Amino acid sequence: MKLYEYQAKTVFSEHKIQVPNSRLIPKGEVNADLLSVGYPCVIKAQVLSGGRGKRGLIQLVKNQENALFQIQRLFELEPSMKYLLVEEAIRIDKEIYVSITVDAPSGKAVLIASESGGVEIETLAVEHPERIMMEPIDLRYGLMPHQARHIAYQMNLSGNQIKQMIQILMNLYDIFIKYDAELVEINPLFATKEDTLIAGDGKIMIDDNSVFRQPRFAQTETDYSSEAAYEASLEGIPFIQFNGDIGLMCAGAGLTTTVYDLIHYEGGTVANYLEFGGPNYRKAVKAMEICLKVPSKVILIVTFGTIARADVMAEGIVEAIKKLNPDRPIVTCIRGTNEAHAVELLKEAGLTPLFDTEEAVRTAVRLAKGENR
Amino acid sequence: MSIFIDRQTCVCVQGITGSEGSFWTKHMIDLGTKVVCGVTPGKEGQTVEGVPVYHSVRNAIRQHNIDATMLFVPPKLTKDAVFEALDAGIKKIVMIADGIPLHEMMLIRARALEEKAFVVGGNTSGVISPKEAMMGSFPHWIERVYKKGSIGVMTRSGSLTNEVTAMIVEAGYGVSSLIGVGGDPVPGARFAEFLPLYQSDPETQAVVIIGELGGTMEEEVAEAMINQTFTKPLVAFLGGRTAPKGQKMGHAGAIITGGKGSVQHKIEILEKAGAKVADRPRKVGKLLEELGVKKD
Repeated sequence: MKLYEYQAKTVFSEHKIQVPNSRLIPKGEVNADLLSVGYPCVIKAQVLSGGRGKRGLIQLVKNQENALFQIQRLFELEPSMKYLLVEEAIRIDKEIYVSITVDAPSGKAVLIASESGGVEIETLAVEHPERIMMEPIDLRYGLMPHQARHIAYQMNLSGNQIKQMIQILMNLYDIFIKYDAELVEINPLFATKEDTLIAGDGKIMIDDNSVFRQPRFAQTETDYSSEAAYEASLEGIPFIQFNGDIGLMCAGAGLTTTVYDLIHYEGGTVANYLEFGGPNYRKAVKAMEICLKVPSKVILIVTFGTIARADVMAEGIVEAIKKLNPDRPIVTCIRGTNEAHAVELLKEAGLTPLFDTEEAVRTAVRLAKGENR
Repeated sequence: MSIFIDRQTCVCVQGITGSEGSFWTKHMIDLGTKVVCGVTPGKEGQTVEGVPVYHSVRNAIRQHNIDATMLFVPPKLTKDAVFEALDAGIKKIVMIADGIPLHEMMLIRARALEEKAFVVGGNTSGVISPKEAMMGSFPHWIERVYKKGSIGVMTRSGSLTNEVTAMIVEAGYGVSSLIGVGGDPVPGARFAEFLPLYQSDPETQAVVIIGELGGTMEEEVAEAMINQTFTKPLVAFLGGRTAPKGQKMGHAGAIITGGKGSVQHKIEILEKAGAKVADRPRKVGKLLEELGVKKD
């Protein structure tokens, strides 16, 4: 789960990492309060997708008239956005990159830092890897102060800033642990003309498997793009909505992704990705209810389960059809444990069960185009 | 002969009295797996499918020779169960739980490296050698999915594995040993670590890997082929080619892997290493043929 910039910065300031003076502007509550950070200031869209600067979602403004114009424009540009962050403009000397993330092969965390932060950091990593420092962190001992010092002394900072940097790195690691993060990142970290270090941006990603023990950032309905997305999240059902024709109701992340690929190879488009395998395989009724809330022309069900038994899923699908009386065709390809019984159940319910994934995909694509099976 | 487990491997089942544990213990035994003991705290003295149950791995290992242990334990309890097994000196562990917290997986992985142990999973179906033995939950009785043969399979996925193995069988091949390393971002054991076992296994003619976007496990396999530590034919199936570009790991993920991790990069380096890469499950069999792998 990704936190918004304003949430990450709240966490930063609680851990004594300096952030710019700011105001959070909720949608529809624009007032003169934002003047209190002064001008010039920076208006930043609070959305989770990256590349905000390149998409014009971060604006430097010099006066109130301009500020009000940009605030209105940004809320119109991102209709589902709830907040804008207004921050004082910082006089920057240079931009630094620091983050802590996971190194899967070693099972360690890794502190990553570069004197050349900013938007081009990924390119820098490929073209000039020598300008990026990496320090492995053994989770049993945590980040040692000598490691933080070693990084800080290589950054060409003033004596004062070096002290701040060491503290920032130590605190960043505390945040990484406290919030079960897969990533904490400050990019850019401003070295200012006033000899301070200030977090210009903030990214915290909480591990999805640990969200249960991170109640502080529990999400509410308004955090989701649609009712379907919110309902899916309450059930713990992975769900993504797109704009295409075929609603996917599949079991297993790998299989669902493969079916997604196959639909595109066959010239079809996907209305939604929904994965009801694993612990959710008894939730076919709920899964179909969610799929029916998404505009689509056909629902494609593909499973090949083991623990997620075919007969149990078929039973759920038959029950869902009886209860919800779907207004669109349903294509099924259900295999795995007790599949023979599953086929019987589906046939009794008047469906034509298919057995081959590619055939099922082609059938769904044809139906979505208004052709016959 | 098979890799990782065979009919002689003495297997313990941690969490044996639970519903999943007892259900799959029965299927493991039906296939031929030598399940010698089980562990559930508080249930010592009971039996499951004729297998004696102990309070702890320490108690069990006093009475039985244990080569490997299978964990049917919920995600929140997995780290403790893995460490219990490692503390008892067991070097082959399979954990299937889906939802193990990331930082706990990091600790498990780091400890596994230190102990030079294979800790397979989580978020996996486990390990199977058809007609021999299994640790995990595979529908081994469905012949068109788990037919015995000479193709080694390694996978990051569950349901997709059934789909791909069914296609391998449809093409006239079968499976020698299958290792599910699991779908978590930090798996306890990685693809490349099993290549030496497949390399020296006379029953394995070729290896199929079922990968996906993210991480660097497929790249590590390619490296092993390039430096000739693995020389058998290899076919990879990679899902997620048309997936909308996610930014799951933000900048740090991209930096740490130096541009690796995308499906495109994986295809390039695998092909450079001499592997064939399939874009759909059905092509896997055809590519094995193209590499001159004899049908089973």
